[in-house]
Amino acid sequence: MEKIISVGIDIGTSTTQVIFSHITIENLASAYSVPQIDIIDKNVFYKSEIYFTPLISETEIDGQEIKKIIESEFKKANVAKKDISTGAVIITGETARKKNASLISEQLSDLAGDFVVATAGPDLESIIAGKGAGADKLSEKLNKLVINFDIGGGTTNIALFESGQVIDTACLDVGGRLIQLDEQNRLQYISKKIKKLAADLNLNLEIGKKVENSELEIIAEKMASVLSEVLKAGEKSSDYNYLITNHDLSKNYAINYVSFSGGVADYINNDHSGDLYKYNDLGIILAQKIRESSLYKDHQVYQAEETIRATVVGAGSHTTDISGSTITYTDNIFPLKNIPIIKITPEEEKLSKEELVKVIKKKLDWYDLDFEAQTVAVAMKGKENFNFAEITELAEAIIAGMEKIIKLDFPLIVILENDAAKVLGQTINRLSKEPKAVVSLDGIKVDNGDYIDIGKPLARGKVLPVIIKTLIFGK
Amino acid sequence: MVSENELKTIIEEVIKNLDRNNLGDKESNKSGGNSEIEAGEIPDITEVDLQKEMLVPEANNQEEFLKLKAKTSARLGVWRAGPRYKTNTLLRFRADHAAAMDAVFTGVSEELINEMNFDTYQTLCSDKDEFLTRPDLGKLFSDQTLAEMKNNCQSNPQVQLYVADGLSSTAIEANLRDIFPAIKQGLEGYNIEMGTPFFVKFGRVASMEPISECLNADVSCVLIGERPGLATAESMSCYMAYKAEIGMPEARRTVISNIHSGGTSAVEAGAHIADVIKAMLDQKASGLDLEI
Repeated sequence: MEKIISVGIDIGTSTTQVIFSHITIENLASAYSVPQIDIIDKNVFYKSEIYFTPLISETEIDGQEIKKIIESEFKKANVAKKDISTGAVIITGETARKKNASLISEQLSDLAGDFVVATAGPDLESIIAGKGAGADKLSEKLNKLVINFDIGGGTTNIALFESGQVIDTACLDVGGRLIQLDEQNRLQYISKKIKKLAADLNLNLEIGKKVENSELEIIAEKMASVLSEVLKAGEKSSDYNYLITNHDLSKNYAINYVSFSGGVADYINNDHSGDLYKYNDLGIILAQKIRESSLYKDHQVYQAEETIRATVVGAGSHTTDISGSTITYTDNIFPLKNIPIIKITPEEEKLSKEELVKVIKKKLDWYDLDFEAQTVAVAMKGKENFNFAEITELAEAIIAGMEKIIKLDFPLIVILENDAAKVLGQTINRLSKEPKAVVSLDGIKVDNGDYIDIGKPLARGKVLPVIIKTLIFGK
Repeated sequence: MVSENELKTIIEEVIKNLDRNNLGDKESNKSGGNSEIEAGEIPDITEVDLQKEMLVPEANNQEEFLKLKAKTSARLGVWRAGPRYKTNTLLRFRADHAAAMDAVFTGVSEELINEMNFDTYQTLCSDKDEFLTRPDLGKLFSDQTLAEMKNNCQSNPQVQLYVADGLSSTAIEANLRDIFPAIKQGLEGYNIEMGTPFFVKFGRVASMEPISECLNADVSCVLIGERPGLATAESMSCYMAYKAEIGMPEARRTVISNIHSGGTSAVEAGAHIADVIKAMLDQKASGLDLEI
């Protein structure tokens, strides 16, 4: 049994949070079998305060201030950077659109640990929040489709799970802080899209002007009705299409089970009798309207495991996977970060060796390797029971197909789903003319368009931690 | 339990029914003008994946039950006809049992041993019955056999590998062609030199000790057929020991078991075995003393 520490840092539209969790890995196989190391427990042991995300201006995040917050949280949690084995920094919602977002995220990931990865993108955010909310586990337990709505300050991130696996995502520009007020309920901020939405509803909202409760209710009701459309079949309204952040769900599903996370969720799940303007924004009113909408009323609503902390818990506890336990790799080349994937489809796997070489070469040509200046990994499912001749053929095809990578002296990375990576890696080593860095992993499912990060070996070198970053989902 | 007579009656019943179906086919063939008897095929009941087969009618939650079944090779939810098994369940049980019996009582084919280019050495057992009833003899070789072994094989190898029929020749037939090259390749990758591999007829795990002493091997390694069960007759194990010697405790052996198509695949197991052997040579230890 081995316990590692993982960190999650979420810099959202309105809040910034940090959590630390223990991830326990253990060999589940008996002493007389091939080892099978797995994650057996994830336990968040420290949750930071919830900070307002510091901004320099409307378009820029205050990196210095965020750095201070994170450093002080490391101290409070009594965790040093060197203790961190893995984790993720995620910049979410509207904050992700600030001009210095990616720079800050990269800097923070370095600050937090050697294998803490920077992530971004509405799809990944939806997945991470859904997992943090526990919707994946719920779908497995119920054996039903479960959809999670993570309703934050700037966006609503939607992830759909089936049997524990995410199958679709969507994102809408619906959130609690797209309208912000001062103490006298005068409009301080309104996002562009919501301004247009309000105008279409014949509401004239101007910065500095007092906003009536009735006006906010009309807007919140509209937003709630747009969210309800996610689960309705048929044509979507023009408002719905207008509020889509990047894309809708890829098709209609019959979904009965819904969970809500994000800051707004706390006020959906609980009746709120206090001050509607506690946060000087639209959040609580939006929550009430969602509670009255068909999205809430016509579906079975489950309490999420985490609400406002779903994304940060997802980033800290649910981003790291463990490779299979019989693998081959060259030492001292980790961590490897942001490696793009070329995926060989199951149909292509059945091709002859010569054809497969062509397919790999063609897919590799999608990447300008000189420009990227880093390696690309080849991934496939692989058979459940390769014989030795098939493994040899596959190794030959990979070596020939990945010729460019080998020539550039990048590590050759192969990722399989089925358990055959150790023998495949050893075969590649035998057949390669010159010694070079080889990483052959299994137990990991990735797709075209995914990026992966591979950390330093764990469990006496038997496994490698892997973080999969799905960037294009539900295309 | 079903008595032998009852079983016979059932099988006769089934065969009769099959015949009747065939007759039916023949009738229709006749009307088509073809009077030849068609060489039809009876579906192979052993090809059904029992863990995916749902026999409980009108289950409350079929998906959940299939998830449960996927986790065990136990024959869950086989349903019944009155107080008895259904015909297919019973036949499948008999077929799997027969495969297990075959695995024990047939020998590893000459073809395979020749293909692998292995010499054969026989323990003191003279036939299968003696092998099964006299475990002590399966651990010993005649002086003459040992002299031949010493003469024909490389002495003082880092790794001495042999293959033994053990309790399942079927396991050797199913896995040897794939696991052997994988182990060899893995060892070569670590620059570990393998001595002269061979086959031991009527061999046991503990045939290892006299072999190790005879050839003075650092690591001895046997690929041996496991006692077959109803889940598979093709399961193989690999036992290894550092400086094996007669009288050593069992705790000095390391084992990788469950090598078959439904367990650890032969090629991947082979690659892993090479790693374990490397660890033994590095640590000069095996069994409980080995840290992996």
